Amino acid sequence: MRRAAAALLALTVGCVLADSAVVTLALPEILQRLHTTVGQVAWVLIAFNLVLAVVARPAAWFYRTRDPAVLCAAGIAVFAGASALCAVAGSLDVLVAARSVQAVGGAFAVIGSLQLLVDELSERRGTAWWIAAGVFGTAVGPVAGGLLTDAFSWRSIFIVQVPIAVLAVPAALAKRRRNGQGLADDAQEHDAQEHDAQEPHTQEPHAQKHRVRIRPNIALALLSAALTAALFLFVLLLVDGWRRSPAVAAVTVSVIPLAALLARPLARMLRSGPMAQTMSGCLLIAGGLTGLALLPSADLAWTIAPQALVGLGLGLTLDPLTLQAMDGRRPHFLHGGWTIAARHAGVVLGLAILTPVFTADLRSAQPPAEDAITALVLNAPLAPQDKIAIARGLADQLKQDRGRVPDLDPAFEQLSVPAAEKPAVAQLERSLNLQLQRAATHAFRNAFLIGAALALVALLSLIPLRRRGTR
Amino acid sequence: MTGAARLRAGALPALAAVLVSGVLAVQLANGGGHYSPLRPADSCVAAPASSVSTGIDGLTEELVVTGLAAAACQIGVSREAFALQLAQPGVRTDAQINALRTGLLTAVDSLKAAGKLPRASQLAREAVDASNLSGLRKAAIRAIPDALIDKTLTTDDVLRRTINDLDLRTLLANLGNRHNLTTQVDTAVTKAVMERLADDLH
Repeated sequence: MRRAAAALLALTVGCVLADSAVVTLALPEILQRLHTTVGQVAWVLIAFNLVLAVVARPAAWFYRTRDPAVLCAAGIAVFAGASALCAVAGSLDVLVAARSVQAVGGAFAVIGSLQLLVDELSERRGTAWWIAAGVFGTAVGPVAGGLLTDAFSWRSIFIVQVPIAVLAVPAALAKRRRNGQGLADDAQEHDAQEHDAQEPHTQEPHAQKHRVRIRPNIALALLSAALTAALFLFVLLLVDGWRRSPAVAAVTVSVIPLAALLARPLARMLRSGPMAQTMSGCLLIAGGLTGLALLPSADLAWTIAPQALVGLGLGLTLDPLTLQAMDGRRPHFLHGGWTIAARHAGVVLGLAILTPVFTADLRSAQPPAEDAITALVLNAPLAPQDKIAIARGLADQLKQDRGRVPDLDPAFEQLSVPAAEKPAVAQLERSLNLQLQRAATHAFRNAFLIGAALALVALLSLIPLRRRGTR
Repeated sequence: MTGAARLRAGALPALAAVLVSGVLAVQLANGGGHYSPLRPADSCVAAPASSVSTGIDGLTEELVVTGLAAAACQIGVSREAFALQLAQPGVRTDAQINALRTGLLTAVDSLKAAGKLPRASQLAREAVDASNLSGLRKAAIRAIPDALIDKTLTTDDVLRRTINDLDLRTLLANLGNRHNLTTQVDTAVTKAVMERLADDLH
């Protein structure tokens, strides 16, 4: 029974952190259904991560004076209610507002779950469960979102979260404290005991409070920013650039969580320490993102190896870095809050840096793509009048999809050509789509390279500086 | 730190470096980094134009494609960029229209030099078949022997006269309407033939 409650709380942590990128594959459908623009729909992602980053640390402060079970249950309930509201949102404004409320509830749920898991399982195991659930949620989010969007609709992403969260509320409340005390009281009691044990004659125990560990938190933020390129931009490239269905995109990006699962056995096999793991992880993420920037074609097979590098890197970094940021630090929930804030601030930083880069590159990729399309139409083995008809259809489609990678299929669906010309028309359509794939892949290159650079900066931030005067 | 511990500490970073180098090397060896849209050919380098159509349609297409490249070369852009400029809605500039006319005239020279221009009699017969002339007039023109037509008219001359006379702004506006386009070109060709004959008579 206790294990089931712990599992539900861990699942809730996974759900909340998966929400960071869960809607990525659903964005094109949301854009279409809610009649909005690319710039506006990005706020469905940004709002959640921004609010979570801002609220995580203050949320931890509330846990000092209130019963963590009650606060956690309230957070989970708010998260569930906001998820339900997201699922029925009829406009983008409502959806973004609901996502913001979801993040507030999520912040309380995640911080509270950390404390309840520690209370339930011991400090080391509870923290390990909490971190593993977060890494799992982050890695699996886009896959789950893509499969649900393809099987049902974007609304189903939020619907499935409601029952999980609703079940987790009683699991959290089951850990209510008899006197309803907050965690500051715990810390004082704990420190008083330690103090008494060490210095039994002194009279004034004070609550022990460790300073936040800057370096692992900065590395977490930078890596989260870098991973945005893989978990957000790569998914966009698959769906919008290469015109793959959300399900195909979801299956494709499942390489990342699968590779992340291999990270721990690999580290164990090589008996690597945390520093070697995190540095190797940063290098792998930087290499994987560089690989995504240098794809030789739009064949999905070429994406497997770079994604595997990113996944391995993700598995090797997030877990030990979060542990480094929290290990031995008190109060525990406060340092957990810092890691959540750092990670989601990193996601916002990544979106803020990468989105303008790739949208500007997408715009500048348009003229060369149009030139390539025009060359193919002019050289196509078709009658002049059919070429003119195709050119007009393509021009309309390009005008309609301005600012996005255009869908050329409608231009060909309306076309009426003699049967003898149909193979040439089909070949032309394939060639045009290939040019669009080339243009889109090229347009995402700089954003992936910037992501790789962010991972390398994270690596540099982890290199210990030699203290002056020491050898 | 002992040697074994150092080795252990370096094993994972070394493996990561090998994996990253391997993946990037394979990708670069297979064209990674060069996967971008095709670059348009230099419009000043003559490329052979071809058409699946025959007769006047085929000739017109070859003439337009070659002429577009020559015009684009003149204004310093690619053939594709110039075609896209002309396809934009709105008023075409005099520079664009002049470049297009010069390009088409250059294309006539190129096709003549390549021996791709049909004889005038062949062109005339096809034009008559496709025209809206009355049956009687069509029969009268068909009765003229090919040798006489070829002696009186040369294809390149008729084409040059036609191009010089054509209202290219209207022609570009008519691109989507086959009937209007045919009527406009037929009228211009007929006028060019008549003017040539009148010149000979004088």
